Amino acid sequence: MAKKTYDLLFKLLLIGDSGVGKTCILFRFSDNHFTTTFISTIGIDFKIKTVELRGKKIKLQIWDTAGQERFHTITTSYYRGAMGIMLVYDITNEKTFDDIVKWLRNIDEHANEDVEKMILGNKCDMEEKRVVSKERGEAIAREHSIRFMETSAKANINIDRAFSELAEAILDKTSGREADADHARIAVERRPSRAPPTRACCT
Amino acid sequence: MSLQKARIQVFDEALGKDVIDLEYLRELAFQGIPDANGLRPLVWRILLLYLPLEKNLWKSTLQQKRQHYRNYIEEIIVSPGGPSDHPLNVSPDSSWSAYFKDNEVLLQIDKDVRRLCPDISFFQLATEFPCPEIAYSNGVKRLHRRVQQSVLRFSTLERRGLGVAKLSNEIRRKDTHAGDYAPLREGREAHWEVVERMLFLYAKLNPGQGYVQGMNEIIGPIYHTFACDPNIEYRRYAEADCFFCFTNLMAEIRDFYIRTLDESSSGINNVMVKLSECLKKNDPMIWNLLEVQELRPQYYSFRWLTLLLSQEFSLPDLERIWDTLFADAKRFDFLICICCAMMYLIRHEILHGDFASNVKLLQNFPPMDVSLILNKALDISKKQNRVNFTVCTLDPTRPCLVGCTRTGATHSRRVAGNSATS
Ligand SMILES: Nc1nc2c(ncn2[C@@H]2O[C@H](COP(=O)(O)OP(=O)(O)OP(=O)(O)O)[C@@H](O)[C@H]2O)c(=O)[nH]1
Ligand SMILES: [Mg+2]
Repeated sequence: MAKKTYDLLFKLLLIGDSGVGKTCILFRFSDNHFTTTFISTIGIDFKIKTVELRGKKIKLQIWDTAGQERFHTITTSYYRGAMGIMLVYDITNEKTFDDIVKWLRNIDEHANEDVEKMILGNKCDMEEKRVVSKERGEAIAREHSIRFMETSAKANINIDRAFSELAEAILDKTSGREADADHARIAVERRPSRAPPTRACCT
Repeated sequence: MSLQKARIQVFDEALGKDVIDLEYLRELAFQGIPDANGLRPLVWRILLLYLPLEKNLWKSTLQQKRQHYRNYIEEIIVSPGGPSDHPLNVSPDSSWSAYFKDNEVLLQIDKDVRRLCPDISFFQLATEFPCPEIAYSNGVKRLHRRVQQSVLRFSTLERRGLGVAKLSNEIRRKDTHAGDYAPLREGREAHWEVVERMLFLYAKLNPGQGYVQGMNEIIGPIYHTFACDPNIEYRRYAEADCFFCFTNLMAEIRDFYIRTLDESSSGINNVMVKLSECLKKNDPMIWNLLEVQELRPQYYSFRWLTLLLSQEFSLPDLERIWDTLFADAKRFDFLICICCAMMYLIRHEILHGDFASNVKLLQNFPPMDVSLILNKALDISKKQNRVNFTVCTLDPTRPCLVGCTRTGATHSRRVAGNSATS
């Protein structure tokens, strides 16, 4: 058995319509590389990356799911164990943005209540093909009190940042819980009103 | 005479009969079809029950089927007719909305065929036999044109009802990001466009299933085999023949692709359970370890089974595996044995791995001589059959699958996403 080389293990999940770039995002993050030649994800894929946050070694176990409807029974079974979920849409495709609501409902139904969420508007390198404005992305994120970022797996914009912010949010929660049960309760209660950081990017 | 030559001769003899002995042909093909004289595409046509066993019916069958296929193209793609094309059409909305619904399906197909077999250039190359009505249509009839429109100009098109031709000009200017999959010049068609057309027709003709991701990975290798046939008379009709072979194959595995059947006896969950049971019986140690690690079969075997292993092996290796699968009379019992053999052959790594490394290992099956896998699978299958007292369709006197496999390109087709940092 491999020796334990990390302090914490976080399970993350990537969801969103087919073709929005989930696999590319994950590949950019894990291998720092972009290729247009990915085959479509069938079922579920898996990657590991260890990051360091606040002096702690954190092993991220990231599950990349298939986007198409047919795979939902398979993929929703992974929601339960996830501590963080990245919900991806494609800024050049209106439908993938409209479907965010559907994906959020899926999260509500299948994931842990306190799962950390983040919405990513991917392909922000394709400004000339943009159909979903950044403001609309920010608005829907604000409405649901979720973090938001625009990303590009191709141009390597905000990819590392997205993952570390999500990991940090989970870390906040976990370390709070470890240190002091009361504190954790407060953190949970406070959560819904906390404004999500909707940072500028892609400019 | 070399082994290869002898095997070719055996096949030639089997195919030379007036009425082909299917049982015998299956037995031969089970051990691999020689990669020569267009034997594989021909035998696949028979094993997939496209060509009848009576050879005197071949000509008329092929003529008839190929004509059907031409009609499908004509009716569904070239001139779909209906009210939308009629100038006095009274209900433009309904026909337009059907058009857009089709485009949603098409959009998914389009994304997937562009991502098909990225490690080989075949699908980007021009076919020798484009569909003239489409290839010479000023781009108008090309299916992918339709989706580029629906992506970019969905609302404009719907609102103003602009002519398709006019829009496609607008798109052409805008599209600067076509990459390798840029449409070929007028009169030519790439193989991926052919695959796109077949999948679209399939979705239209089988509305209950539509298009499900993964179908591209089933039709791709069949089409590749047919389109590389050295016999030009067969190659010319690779598309039509592939379409029907794919349709027949899907009839056997379609339940894997239907979400509402996941829990039924023919659905994918049950097949995954069968694999798990097979593993438990044949390698209880591995089975147990994976249980303890909570490494569920669906993490890896969902894809193995629904795609008939098409993403796990290089194309030549896959063709060899499919020879055996298509020859399996009780399709696809042997598939489970193959999957089980794959796990058995990496049992050493599995036993030393933790959860994460084992998921990675199983999701990126290491390069391996396929004949090794198939022989092990045969052992498992024999054992299974003895236990279950079911009739074995294989000749029990045959010690193993003789090696007419081609090794060499043994890397998996899942190239790009293979490495992972940890
Ligand atoms: N321009 C641009 N294209 C991207 C970007 N990310 C992904 N793509 C393209 O989008 C296509 C689909 O990306 P994938 O990562 O395979 O999509 P997916 O979300 O994993 O899709 P499924 O596996 O079918 O659910 C790829 O072929 C890429 O070329 C990006 O940041 N910018
Ligand atoms: Mg993917």
